[in-house]
Amino acid sequence: MNRILTASVATAVLAIGVAGVWRVSTAQERVSLADLSKDPNQWVMPSQNYANTRNSTLSEITPENVKNLRVAWTMSTGATRGHEGQPLVVGDTMYYQSAYPNHVYAIDLSDYHTKWEYTPKQDPFAVSVACCDLVNRGVAYADGKIITDALDGQIIALSASDGHVMWDSHNADPEAGQTVTDAPLIVHNKVIVGVSGGEFGVRGYLTAYDLATGHRVWRAYSEGPDSDVLIGSDFSGPHNAGVSTWKGDQWKIGGGTTWGWYSYDPELNLVYYGTGNPGTWDPTQRPGDNKWSMTIFARNPDTGMAKWGYQMTPHDAWDYDGINEMILADINVKGNKVPALVHFDRNGFAYELDRRNGKLLLANKFDPDVNWASSIDLSTGRPNVVASKETHAGVNVGNICPAAMGSKDQQPASFDATTGYFIVPTNHNCMDYKAFAVKYKSGFPYVGAIVKMYPGPGGNRGAVIAYDPNDGKIVWSDPERFPAWGGVLTTTNGIAFYGTMDSWFKAVDAKTGALLWKFHMPSGIIGNPITYMHGGHQYVALLSGVGGWAGIGLAAGLTEPTAGLGAVNAAQDLARYTQLGGDLVVFTL
Amino acid sequence: MQKNVPRLFILTLLGLLAFAPVAARADALRVCEDPNYLPFSNRAGQGFENEIAAFIARTLGARLTYTWETERGPGGFEQFVHDTLDSKRCDVLVDVPYASENVMTTRPYYISSYVFVYEKSKHYDITSMDSPELQRLRIGFESDTPAENGLKIRALILHAVPFDASDEPGGSPAEMLDAIQSGRIGVGVTWEPAVGSFLQQRPQLAVVPVPNSRSQGSPEQYSFPMAMGVRLKDTVTRDRLNSVIAAHAVELTRILARDGVKLYKPGDVATR
Repeated sequence: MNRILTASVATAVLAIGVAGVWRVSTAQERVSLADLSKDPNQWVMPSQNYANTRNSTLSEITPENVKNLRVAWTMSTGATRGHEGQPLVVGDTMYYQSAYPNHVYAIDLSDYHTKWEYTPKQDPFAVSVACCDLVNRGVAYADGKIITDALDGQIIALSASDGHVMWDSHNADPEAGQTVTDAPLIVHNKVIVGVSGGEFGVRGYLTAYDLATGHRVWRAYSEGPDSDVLIGSDFSGPHNAGVSTWKGDQWKIGGGTTWGWYSYDPELNLVYYGTGNPGTWDPTQRPGDNKWSMTIFARNPDTGMAKWGYQMTPHDAWDYDGINEMILADINVKGNKVPALVHFDRNGFAYELDRRNGKLLLANKFDPDVNWASSIDLSTGRPNVVASKETHAGVNVGNICPAAMGSKDQQPASFDATTGYFIVPTNHNCMDYKAFAVKYKSGFPYVGAIVKMYPGPGGNRGAVIAYDPNDGKIVWSDPERFPAWGGVLTTTNGIAFYGTMDSWFKAVDAKTGALLWKFHMPSGIIGNPITYMHGGHQYVALLSGVGGWAGIGLAAGLTEPTAGLGAVNAAQDLARYTQLGGDLVVFTL
Repeated sequence: MQKNVPRLFILTLLGLLAFAPVAARADALRVCEDPNYLPFSNRAGQGFENEIAAFIARTLGARLTYTWETERGPGGFEQFVHDTLDSKRCDVLVDVPYASENVMTTRPYYISSYVFVYEKSKHYDITSMDSPELQRLRIGFESDTPAENGLKIRALILHAVPFDASDEPGGSPAEMLDAIQSGRIGVGVTWEPAVGSFLQQRPQLAVVPVPNSRSQGSPEQYSFPMAMGVRLKDTVTRDRLNSVIAAHAVELTRILARDGVKLYKPGDVATR
């Protein structure tokens, strides 16, 4: 009775659109996480909502007055490595997580005092196996719990009210090269998380844990027999391709990690995510399509069973992980209204699919300089690969665009419902790539690849673009000095917010890309802005703190031009623009 | 169409004739080993590769025969494969990297790793190729290995010392350990199975696995699944060996562990 009453009060609060001070802890409200995410005053999911749109209807801040934005409050995160991810706002509390050592804070928005903080005890070995800086993409909220993951593979449920540990599960093993950096997605009573790293010698997987107990409910591998990949008879694609598209037993070390973002369609009851690159970097050594690496999967969140899978980059020869976010939007594609899934892939193509069945509708380049493939064949779904850009063991293949970092990495785009544009933060680097076959030197095994990355044509290493999904065209493009490694927030009254690695937080006109306002932050930005209401006023919050793969040279103290190839080469002058350090910065009018 | 049938038939027959003497005979296990390369093998039957070979032969009920041929002459491993497997003087190499060139490999039966080795008393804080401590140490490495590549891309090669046990007949991977203990180098980077049995006698040395990395942009692999090697297309021998590996994973890893080969998380490779 009491529970029902609380739920109806919450609904009433939502209906009048005011963030209440109620505590959310009942079973009824757990079901309504989707409804909670529709309240623009709060930001209850890492990507704002299940559709991952990052598009707010709050309107106190307008294109006209955004120039008057000022800092409302700030806070040190107590961590120095790269701050990907974003805060949550639930009721009158902000929750956020720092980079490693992964401090979690609950901040009272009325006076900014710390209600509680929590730092997990971690296996220090995780630090040495983390691939691309010690990042984390944020906490998730549901049913009175804050779900956080630690770099060393722990998934931890904390009480949202006092921060005490409710359960702690083990999702990855640093000794096997595995870490966890993603923001969990909570659907029904399941916590869905992926795995990072494990480039060599393991298979990627997506796992669901019971929200109440932390017990593992299902685990879907990216390779192997259908029983491991959780493919049943109603799967629309080929069967046992997780074995048959590999030579011999190679699927057992097939890679395909799952460290990106996850989205969900409540009506179709499907969770969407992408898998990463196949197990070894030398493509010559793993003939075949290497399914289901580089794949967009749609799965039932209750059972994990896959409904459809679409492999974007068969037989990857460039490290174009397919893990970037899947944005769910009902849009016109070539004039036809469809329930679409839109995905801006590392490989430089913007994939637009019918999310009901995985049918490919349109796939155009979102950076005109992409040159590894000329186009995507819409009937077969396969890329028309440019033979001279295909990498082979022992051959140095020059001037491949994009570089391994991709035309876009994990930094999430936003779908602006007003213009119908996707505002996309992108990278603009190219590379030379030389892979080596596995060799044996009398007792000593050897394999490798040498990657050299450098700015693409034009000299800018990134850009923020607007992309029209109806005709698959770039509408405007704002070049950036460094890869645009921070996510985008849009508001329906026409503003797009994003931060840059050289420390600028910008507001631009969503229709034209024209700069409306900018502010110099404490450090470079690789995090994602959010917006919320408190005390009758609109706030915009984001984490400052450069790092991540693009900033790894700076993050690891490697600033000598000779100190490294690859990522360091592509951003070696970053130190002239920014320094490390994590801060939360919040703006208002 | 009608013409093709007899031609296909003849081709198949020829194929079978060509194939028959190539496939290993079921009653023999013919391995090639280096006569003088501990801890891998020697003519006296020592070394973990010999013990693995003996176990496989026992399990198959096959007679074990050796062809002794150095892996470390001019031409290296490629020449060795040409002179042994490809010349049909033997059918099996006991210890090669999974998916390596020139041979066909079985399923992996263990995973090991390159390691940092240093005096425990030094208490160095070294956990990866990016550990700052490496900037101030003289680093020993085996030439032409992933260790050399990792040192090069960090410019650590400028104060590093090459070792070449894998190219010089008579050379020993233990030489790097001697150099650590004499103070000639501060830390060595080598393949753990190459020094594991020597380390059993040197408890004063610390051993830390080198994690795989992409911190420099390039992928760096330091752990490797290891398998047995057979002639390209000799699926008969491969399948025989695979059946032993599948049924006796525990015994195989026990033999390796006894000989000081440190196993790093076999993961799915051995458990499934």
